Amino acid sequence: MIGLAALGVLACSNAPRTPSPGTPATGGSGGSAGMGTAAMSAGGSSGMSTGGSSGTLACTTTSPGVAPLRLLTHLQYDNTVADLLGDTTRPSQQFPAENVVLGFSNNVAANQVNPTLIAAYQSAAESLAATAVSSRLATLAPCADGAANGECGHTFVTTFGAKVFRRALTANEAANFDALFDATLPSGYPKAIELTLRAMLQSPQFLYRVDALHAPTSESGAIALGADELASRLSYFLTNSTPDDTLLAAAANDQLVSATDIETQARRLLGTTRAKQMAQDFMGQWLGLDQLSGAARQAPDENFGPTELVPDWKSSLGAFIDDAVWNDGTVSGLLTSPKLFLTPKLATLYGVSAPSDPSVPASVPTQRSGLLTQPAIMALLAHSDQSGPVQRGVFVLQQLLCMQVAPPPPNVVAVPPAVDQTATTRERFAQHIADQSCASCHVSLDGIGFGFERYDQLGRYREMENGLPVDDSGQVVGSGDPSLEGPFNGALELSSKLATNETVRSCIATQWYRYAMGRVEDTTDQCSLNDVKARFSSSNGNFRELLVAITLSDAFRYRPALENP
Amino acid sequence: MKRRIDRRLFLRAASGLAVALPLLPSLRAHGESASPIRRFVTMYTPNGQIHSAWWPTSVVSQTDFALNDIHQPLAAHKSRLTLLKNIDLQTAGSGPGGPHQRGIGTLFTGQYLQTGNFVDGCGSTAGWADGISVDQVIAAQIGQTTPYPSLELGVRATDNDVQGRIAYSGAGAPLPPLTQPLDVYNRIFKDLVVPDQSGAVATDAMLAERQSVLDTVVSQISELETRVSTEDKQKLDAHLTLVRDVERRLAQVPLACAKPAGPAAMDPTSETDMPNIATLEIDLLSIAFACDLVRVASFEVSTGLNRIRYPWLNSMGEGHPLSHMDPADPTAHSELVARAQWHSGLVARLFDNLASVTEGDSTIADNTLLMWSTEVSEGNVHSHTNMPIVLMGGGWHFQSGRFIDCVEGSTNPSHTNLLVTLLNAMGVEQQTFGRAEFCTGPLKALT
Repeated sequence: MIGLAALGVLACSNAPRTPSPGTPATGGSGGSAGMGTAAMSAGGSSGMSTGGSSGTLACTTTSPGVAPLRLLTHLQYDNTVADLLGDTTRPSQQFPAENVVLGFSNNVAANQVNPTLIAAYQSAAESLAATAVSSRLATLAPCADGAANGECGHTFVTTFGAKVFRRALTANEAANFDALFDATLPSGYPKAIELTLRAMLQSPQFLYRVDALHAPTSESGAIALGADELASRLSYFLTNSTPDDTLLAAAANDQLVSATDIETQARRLLGTTRAKQMAQDFMGQWLGLDQLSGAARQAPDENFGPTELVPDWKSSLGAFIDDAVWNDGTVSGLLTSPKLFLTPKLATLYGVSAPSDPSVPASVPTQRSGLLTQPAIMALLAHSDQSGPVQRGVFVLQQLLCMQVAPPPPNVVAVPPAVDQTATTRERFAQHIADQSCASCHVSLDGIGFGFERYDQLGRYREMENGLPVDDSGQVVGSGDPSLEGPFNGALELSSKLATNETVRSCIATQWYRYAMGRVEDTTDQCSLNDVKARFSSSNGNFRELLVAITLSDAFRYRPALENP
Repeated sequence: MKRRIDRRLFLRAASGLAVALPLLPSLRAHGESASPIRRFVTMYTPNGQIHSAWWPTSVVSQTDFALNDIHQPLAAHKSRLTLLKNIDLQTAGSGPGGPHQRGIGTLFTGQYLQTGNFVDGCGSTAGWADGISVDQVIAAQIGQTTPYPSLELGVRATDNDVQGRIAYSGAGAPLPPLTQPLDVYNRIFKDLVVPDQSGAVATDAMLAERQSVLDTVVSQISELETRVSTEDKQKLDAHLTLVRDVERRLAQVPLACAKPAGPAAMDPTSETDMPNIATLEIDLLSIAFACDLVRVASFEVSTGLNRIRYPWLNSMGEGHPLSHMDPADPTAHSELVARAQWHSGLVARLFDNLASVTEGDSTIADNTLLMWSTEVSEGNVHSHTNMPIVLMGGGWHFQSGRFIDCVEGSTNPSHTNLLVTLLNAMGVEQQTFGRAEFCTGPLKALT
């Protein structure tokens, strides 16, 4: 067993940072200013609020959100070419990885082009165009018998080009493509279409979302986005893809102007398969699920390969998320649903008789309560050979309460205590709390994490560990939310406390807002974010309402004047 | 210059790749001076080193010493190896971020980190490194006549924040590594124009097509630039520069190499595939060097806060937590030394490969310079003093095969002095690098 106490000089004085102004963070040896805007908005208590609330920021005027060029994310690229060209080869698999900020790989500032990506765009455009022309030229760029190929090509430029650019081409843009088409036409109509398409797919008008295509203006303040821009914002936020025909038609017919117009389209898009995919994408980033890939989890009494169960956990959690977000539809459901969607392998492992149809969940209310008790989450938050009370505590504080929890400081042995067949995990980890130098952090982390001790590293439910009864009592300390503080009895009770908690709702709203905007919120976002939080809360944590609220926020609908950001 | 490629390289590489033998005569003869082509590699492995297994033993002189455990795999290349003692990562001592972040961010940039939202030790936060990395400066100098300026390779480097980036094209502009051998292969070989048996290149319609497409793309960028904000225009300028670069490289003479067959797709997150991925990347890099497709690379194994196991070494501890243990702890010692030896073995494989390729009167190994280091000196204390640094090659610029104490009087020099030396060795004539207040010029011990 690792003797934490053996370490003499430790500097482990930083409790998890508390977002609430009333409970300042303690200690912390480095970067004390640290949290910046992320902490300001965390926990639903940013000190700013709308309307008649007690905050210091009066949100009386429109608060536009910054609107920089945004590179399509990998997912958006793949969806877009699938929708434009019917090509589902997911070219982004060969793009270099996206940079991640606070969990989100769609952060605009962190994701700029680089040489490898430019080369990958070129390569993808070539494959896509070649396939499109060889397999579906007649639909892509029809040219009736007897029609002049040149005219067909120019029609392709203006019509298909407008789909690729998500707006009508300017005269110069069309002329540039026309010139390429005309110069290539002697090599044949298909080749000319192919090269034109290749150029379209490498143009920044396609690769970036351009939210503010205007000549520089001297206007100041907030500028309402145009219909084309709103169409793109809606579709790329809610479906991670290019606007569909309905959206394009609405934009073209002046039916994408008012808040009601936006809401109508938003609610329609929320009914699409792509919206489900968006929620999965968001959840994956928010919850850090990519860390499950390649995670080795084993138990001495099971013979699974180290990563054999990962695909099963992922599909199980995916089905759960779909159900929680779209069927139940609320934070409360997400955190308390007793459903398990099990593959045959998992059903056997968990001793649950699974329905033959994996889309039909088992219900295990005495063992499971929502997201935090899902097998995939419990396996994610574990070590290869044991449960991970610390990770589980961190997860609740960080993902659900939007507190930043720092990794252990230097000089601390961060190795989980060795597995011991004569003790429970809790007993082995008790050292954290016994050692004063670690207690300040770990009383918060383990206090929550011990509440999940009924789930092992394979996500199995257990009441005994090594022949000893599992003690899953826990306590919430230093959460910054008085309504959460204090002892609780196991993950089921903790989940039910979190299910209707305002800090949790505020945190989820903040996370989804970051995803929607592709940035960590800053001061210009506070009024919009507060509106979003208020609507989410008054809907009792309904996800659809949250997503609609984001599309109705000022930051979503308005941009600052170009030269007056 | 004729480049003769020894069969062994490609047979070795064939352990993972079905590689054709690129024995075509060089087409690069025109305009190429007789001076040797130099290559440069930065290499990172995580979490410091076990010093008691790192520093040489039985040291009699700079050239008379015994390699310690970690460097045993490099024994055959001892004459190419330079071990530098008492160099500090002074630029990791201040600025935003925790010790892992600051260490990896400054290792090859010599800069502090920017402010930002990446969280590390005791709640400190940071952004990306605040400047270009040394490999990219070198790529700008020697990587301009090859099809690719540089390659960024990673093995389970799956943290996509500051912890997972060692190469920077500029301040706040990290270059993500490719972590999937198939992607590396495609990046290098997929679109290569291959000459025929006689070495002649068929009139290449593909090149002409690409040229005209890119010309159009450039026009569209210019058109968009007239209609966006100043900040966005800068973004588009950067985009344009990269497109122009692709365009310019297209015009270059194609390669004197046959195209190897591609590797199978692997899971970059898989612990079981990890050794195959690493060796495939080393082999692909070797071939890319041999074919003169690229002259600069960075190679990153894992990241500072990793929790990965090395099961093929029977090392089942989780990486970063393991490195927090007392280095004298038997488990930590044996597992971490085994991992470091395996890392050494990757360096050895690269140099074995490169030594098998003759180039004029020497081999590519003779014309390659590699720097391998890590983000903290000792994982359990996160120190940045007396960094474990190995150089391989570079014998044309300094005498290799030595163990050198770099202390100057009673002061350890900044690693940025070493970076200046590396720049100079690669033909970049500058006297300072990174944050100016730390750098006093080329490393005295290597001059």
